Amino acid sequence: MASEMEIETLPGAGGEHELDLGNLLVAHYRDPVTLSNGTAMSEAERDVEYVEQGRNLVQVLVDRLFNMPSTVDKTGRLVTLPKPSFQLPREKPLPKPRPMTKWEAFAQTKGIKKRKRSKLEFDEGKEEWRRRHGYKRVNDENDIPIIEAKAGDEPGEDPFLKLRESKKERVAKQDKNQLENLKRAAKQGGKGALPSTLQLAATSLAVTGGKQPGQKLSKNDLGDAAGLASTATASIGKFDKKLPGEKPAKKLGKHRKFLPVVDGQGKEKELITNVMKKVLAENDFSGLDVNKAVRAHNVEESGKPSKKVGGKKRAEGAFKKGGSRKGMAPSGKSGKKSSFGGKSGGKAGGKERKSSKR
Amino acid sequence: MRPLDEPEMTQVLEKLHKFVGSNLKHVLERPSHEGPDGKGGYVFRLHKQRCYYVSDALVRRATNVGRDKLFGLGTCLGKFTKSGKFRLTVTCLDLIAAHAKHKIWLKPSAEMSFLYGNHVLKSGLGRITDNTQQYQGVVIYSMSDVPLGFGVAAKSTQDCRKLDPNDIVALHQADLGEYLRMEDEL
Repeated sequence: MASEMEIETLPGAGGEHELDLGNLLVAHYRDPVTLSNGTAMSEAERDVEYVEQGRNLVQVLVDRLFNMPSTVDKTGRLVTLPKPSFQLPREKPLPKPRPMTKWEAFAQTKGIKKRKRSKLEFDEGKEEWRRRHGYKRVNDENDIPIIEAKAGDEPGEDPFLKLRESKKERVAKQDKNQLENLKRAAKQGGKGALPSTLQLAATSLAVTGGKQPGQKLSKNDLGDAAGLASTATASIGKFDKKLPGEKPAKKLGKHRKFLPVVDGQGKEKELITNVMKKVLAENDFSGLDVNKAVRAHNVEESGKPSKKVGGKKRAEGAFKKGGSRKGMAPSGKSGKKSSFGGKSGGKAGGKERKSSKR
Repeated sequence: MRPLDEPEMTQVLEKLHKFVGSNLKHVLERPSHEGPDGKGGYVFRLHKQRCYYVSDALVRRATNVGRDKLFGLGTCLGKFTKSGKFRLTVTCLDLIAAHAKHKIWLKPSAEMSFLYGNHVLKSGLGRITDNTQQYQGVVIYSMSDVPLGFGVAAKSTQDCRKLDPNDIVALHQADLGEYLRMEDEL
């Protein structure tokens, strides 16, 4: 058990204190609310009290620390702290137990226990002790000098090749089984069940039936990635040897198709005339009636034309806009201005005129 | 060498239109008398970022020359810059001078100044065609009707009358002197 939290009373302030040397923690939990004479403390007094108590606590900790047995180091004294007793809460949740692999499940049902194997084995042929796995191992298949032909062997077959191929098959089978186990674990327990090295992998396993969608790379994505990688060399992949059957990299960039150089059956002529028409039409202003345009522009600028009421107003209007008024249709329905003119007359009309002048 | 595609053609024709106006039709539908049967028209071809105005028969012959060996053909109108814009060069002067709409004639005293690449001042202005708008493309001639170059009118014809003698009337774009000054860039 870790060293107990020492609880003791300090002079100078009431209450219990806890000391945990492992965490270098000293804590006092009661709030000094009342003075010794029983009245409540103010803020300033409380601050003073806190500072005082803090000093005392730190003093206690330092005293305890310096009284511990220490060794001398070149930088100074070295104290080994005891194990911490104050339990800090977990930062992350507890890891879930990994689901069993297929073999583990089978072994459990059958009651097969794991056997501890020795590192060295006696090699009968060479009569010496050799490793079980690794360099110069027992029964290394590369070391076999002669393989005798069996009754069932065909004359053209290479037994050494067969050995190598069978080894590859076994390795491949094992890898497949491992992958299946991982997939099953991920399906059952989610991503957390996988070993952390796999969790960090950029593309998560595509788990069939699982909640998370797998980020499968499509054929095109792979092709693009391969193309990018192949051009990421010093000479943009131009002089690299290609694998047999590897297609040259897809040319990037917009595909542009041009007319043939010589006489594309009048298509070029067509293009020229079309573009010419467009250019001429854009810049051709012969259809424009300048006067009409000026009138339209003036109307737009001044807002809606006001109703012509009374000779004075008309004169004023004429003074304002000159000839453009003549072209305008008599405004039956007009804007806000005209309503004043309609109702009022005389003095009021005069007032309106003043305001409009403004 | 390849024909122009639509956006490129639009750019070229718009630039030409600035100088020749509605005569663009004549330029494009000009019959050529080269070739064995004396028929055919003129086309545009792009070669090494330069646009050429060539007769059809000549294009056929030019296909026999390899791409890197071919220096040019017909009349070079101008070149496409790295950012895709089209600029007219002095080599198209003959063509646009023949079909120009707006012209400026220079006094003999101002000819040399223009041929060195300076803009045309009011003091050097001899004649100018009527109703030339501001920033209209103009072809610049000497008094003896020899085309010297082309540029852009800085002021319209009416405004030209009110200018100081040292004000710019036409902005220089290309002149014959470039054949000597910028020989390698043509």
